[in-house]
Amino acid sequence: MSLLNHRLARPGAYTVLLVIAWFVPYSVGSYEMHILDTALVYAVLAVGQGLVMGIAGQINLAQVAFLGVGAYTTAILTTHNHLGFWAAAVLAVLASALIGLIVGLPALRVQSHYLGIVTLGLSLAFLNWVTNASIAGSGSGIPGIPVPPLGSVDLSSDYLYYYLELVVFTLGLAFGLFVVRTRLGRRLRAMRDDSLAAGSLGASIPVLRMTSFLLAGVYGGVAGVLYAGLIRFVAPETFSTSNMFLLLAMVVIGGRQSLWGCVVGALVLSIVQNELTDLSTYSQLGYGSVVVLMVVFLPTGLAGVPSQLLRLRRHSTGGTSLTLGQFQPYDAAATTSAGEGVLLDLDGVTMRFKGLTALDQVSLTVHEGEIRGIVGPNGSGKTTLFNVISGLYHASGGTVRFGGTRIVGMRPNRLAHLGMARTFQNLRLFRNLTVREHLLTALDRTPTRWAWRYVLWPFGVQHGEKFLRAEAEQLLDRFGLAPFADAIPYSLPYGIQRRVELARAMSAHPRLLLLDEPAAGLNGAEKAQLAEIVGSIRDSGTTVVIIEHDMSLVMSLCGRVTVLAAGQVIADGLPTEVAANPQVIEAYLGRAAQNTPTVEDEPAALGSEEHA
Amino acid sequence: MHTTRSSRTTLAVSSVVLCLAAAAACSAPSDKSNSSSGGDSSAPIKIAVVDAQSGENSALGAWEYKGAKLAVDQWNAKGGIDGRKIQLHLFDDKGDPTTGTNIASKLASQGYAAMIGTAESGVTVAMEPTLQSAQIPNITSGQSPQIIASKDPFVFLNGPTSTTYDATLAKYVIDTKGLKKVAMITNNGSYGKGEHDAFLAELKKRGLSPTTDQVVTTNQIDFSAALTTIKKTNPQVVFIGSEEVEAGLIVKQARSLGITAPFAGAAPQGTPVYISTAGAAHAEGTIVSSPYLNNEATAQSKSFAAAYQAAYKQTAELHGAKAYDGTSIVLTALKNSHVATGKKLADAIRATNYQGLLGNFSFDATGVGIFATKIGIVKSGQLAAAS
Repeated sequence: MSLLNHRLARPGAYTVLLVIAWFVPYSVGSYEMHILDTALVYAVLAVGQGLVMGIAGQINLAQVAFLGVGAYTTAILTTHNHLGFWAAAVLAVLASALIGLIVGLPALRVQSHYLGIVTLGLSLAFLNWVTNASIAGSGSGIPGIPVPPLGSVDLSSDYLYYYLELVVFTLGLAFGLFVVRTRLGRRLRAMRDDSLAAGSLGASIPVLRMTSFLLAGVYGGVAGVLYAGLIRFVAPETFSTSNMFLLLAMVVIGGRQSLWGCVVGALVLSIVQNELTDLSTYSQLGYGSVVVLMVVFLPTGLAGVPSQLLRLRRHSTGGTSLTLGQFQPYDAAATTSAGEGVLLDLDGVTMRFKGLTALDQVSLTVHEGEIRGIVGPNGSGKTTLFNVISGLYHASGGTVRFGGTRIVGMRPNRLAHLGMARTFQNLRLFRNLTVREHLLTALDRTPTRWAWRYVLWPFGVQHGEKFLRAEAEQLLDRFGLAPFADAIPYSLPYGIQRRVELARAMSAHPRLLLLDEPAAGLNGAEKAQLAEIVGSIRDSGTTVVIIEHDMSLVMSLCGRVTVLAAGQVIADGLPTEVAANPQVIEAYLGRAAQNTPTVEDEPAALGSEEHA
Repeated sequence: MHTTRSSRTTLAVSSVVLCLAAAAACSAPSDKSNSSSGGDSSAPIKIAVVDAQSGENSALGAWEYKGAKLAVDQWNAKGGIDGRKIQLHLFDDKGDPTTGTNIASKLASQGYAAMIGTAESGVTVAMEPTLQSAQIPNITSGQSPQIIASKDPFVFLNGPTSTTYDATLAKYVIDTKGLKKVAMITNNGSYGKGEHDAFLAELKKRGLSPTTDQVVTTNQIDFSAALTTIKKTNPQVVFIGSEEVEAGLIVKQARSLGITAPFAGAAPQGTPVYISTAGAAHAEGTIVSSPYLNNEATAQSKSFAAAYQAAYKQTAELHGAKAYDGTSIVLTALKNSHVATGKKLADAIRATNYQGLLGNFSFDATGVGIFATKIGIVKSGQLAAAS
């Protein structure tokens, strides 16, 4: 992530920050103290918003409602049901977590701005409820929330309350950072950047989305409890949409993809906002312009400033060298199983998109240890075939068996766990993950539900991280990617990006590897390297199916070749046999004579699947 | 990277322990900068006005500030109190309780003698604990019974509670006029909800129930569904619990749907904004319960209105009058107590009997000083006292 994080990752910096935070109350007046107390509530809330929106990419406009659920539950349980403050606090966090899950449900169906509208609607529903329900004070709020008891410490003092908040905030931020920097956070960020690719690596997208809303709900609930204990009064105005947008501004200004950024944004904006109350007429104007300026000129927020400066400096000093390292071949598998069992078996697979039949009764058998080539003119259904096999599309008819298991209708993440991996025709790398993080994400084969361990056994998570990192180092070396381990792939040359995607697909050492035009855009030397790598992958025991337009590559690499034309298999056999097949020649040349091939793209395929 | 993990944890833990040890050695932090305006006998007396200057209720906040400022300017022109000037400082609470508590802490740490405002009951309730512990008397314009429920000795109301508004209204409409078929239309905002509950309680007290109880939202434009239902029940009078503009729209649409029964409501229904929105002909006959019917009621209100007109080139109205009364009471109490602060000032306010624009103030233990409103009727676009 950003440089800021790395710098702060040093234990010394943490200690200094903590010591400063600890001694702040000794030097401020009661007003400043109160402002800091409210700012810390917002900081906890902003960490939750950063996790759900910045890290998991879910547009959540109900975060202030989660704060409200936490605060109102505490208020109702303490004043109406006369429960102790801490018992009420625990129930309030649970209630808020539950509401988080409910608000998250629409995320399973809709994304981006649609999700924003739905969550905003749900938070308005909450606001409407507290305004009207008599148990919630009928719009005039609930006064008389008791001071949280804590031994002999008098928490009615803003000074002592600060320490309670500081402890909770530090734990909250530490847990958030722990999540972000370990496997759950990497999966969330991978999902944010490309949910399709993340799914094909084995992450269960619905579980991840719900997890992110659960986290947002918990942080909102904790902030709500702190709010109730601090202000000891709750009213609907606090949870209004204007405060939601204030929170959004905090997260955007601070830098939503960095939790530190969210915290800085929350603290700075809370303080600035209160300083400006004296200049009420101009505050709105000034404050609005700051938000606009930030969004336009610094989209990554304050947290993005150090890394941008660093990038500028790198540019001026020439940057690092950009040559791929040598590929280190895999050890050959002990038993060469070539031609033995059937690994992939398609029988009469048909795929229809409304009126268009993209695949028509395609039957295909791939044996273990094979390198199978799939060729055909543009629009013949090759990528559609891959999408059906890898679970992105649900075949309209026919059966697909993988290692003897029927897999039609299985989600990509389950197929990934069964041992299937793929690359994409148009690269699908994660925009904001480094090369190393790509491999770490792909290496993580634990089920997504495994995330409960974060709560019950965080040390286990930390321990597993060590092994993942060691494996990632090996992979980086094997694929010659070690020099770029900390670079963002999209900033690297195209050939290296292709290599990253291949390494990512091979991370889990799959039984079947689907390569969709892996040589597209590569130069001659890179193509030769690719042939060597694919050969080695096969020798290590992974069966390969490859879609490719470069005929010489197909001829030299593949044991068998299947030819598709207009969604049908028109030939299947040894490369030399297929090349001499008159039907194949007609399909290629006939088409070529009628309409000159333009762009290498499948018309009905990948463009639409994000919305499928 | 991995090797530093465990040492980092150790460091973090040890640093926390270190901090705790250091903090235990010193005393717990607290505010040492607490200054009070009572200490220096020549410095200006600081009084705060806290009201929404931005957001939905900013119009209310602006009226309040004008009323308070007018009172302070008049006292300063006469030489202040005990030779000391009065300094009025305006704070914007945005109508938000959290901002309100921040401002309360600020008043506490900056030595304000008293606070005028807020116009929003919710904000006032949120500020109460802080103001009480800092012993800053607060004259609020809120009217929710919730404000006085806490029995806070530092909070005073500059007008009647909503219970008083609606008790007076119900007494006139039901007991005096004998109109027993009452329909209700209120909005679901905090003001509308308070009116709804208070008036419904008055009906129940008399063993009545409304012919229909319609609730609309605060930002609604079209009320035909609710009004059609009201028309079907054929009421003798329609109780309306809503702010000026919305109430005006409701009445306008009611008349076009053929509802001929008069409307009855509290202070907002007596304002020029309401009458102009509804149209004078439609608003004709509206029954209003308000402590301040118009600027021509008394000699005192006439001179207030004239001063207001001169200072702001605007016509005075209820909210400015309430703030003017509240501020005058604080200044009178300051004068009577020779600029006392804290508990002594609160006691001086409680002891102040004041002839104000809204009536005769005489505070009880809960901080309410006025217990009656007047009934007015809209006649040819003007609010006049009911005969």
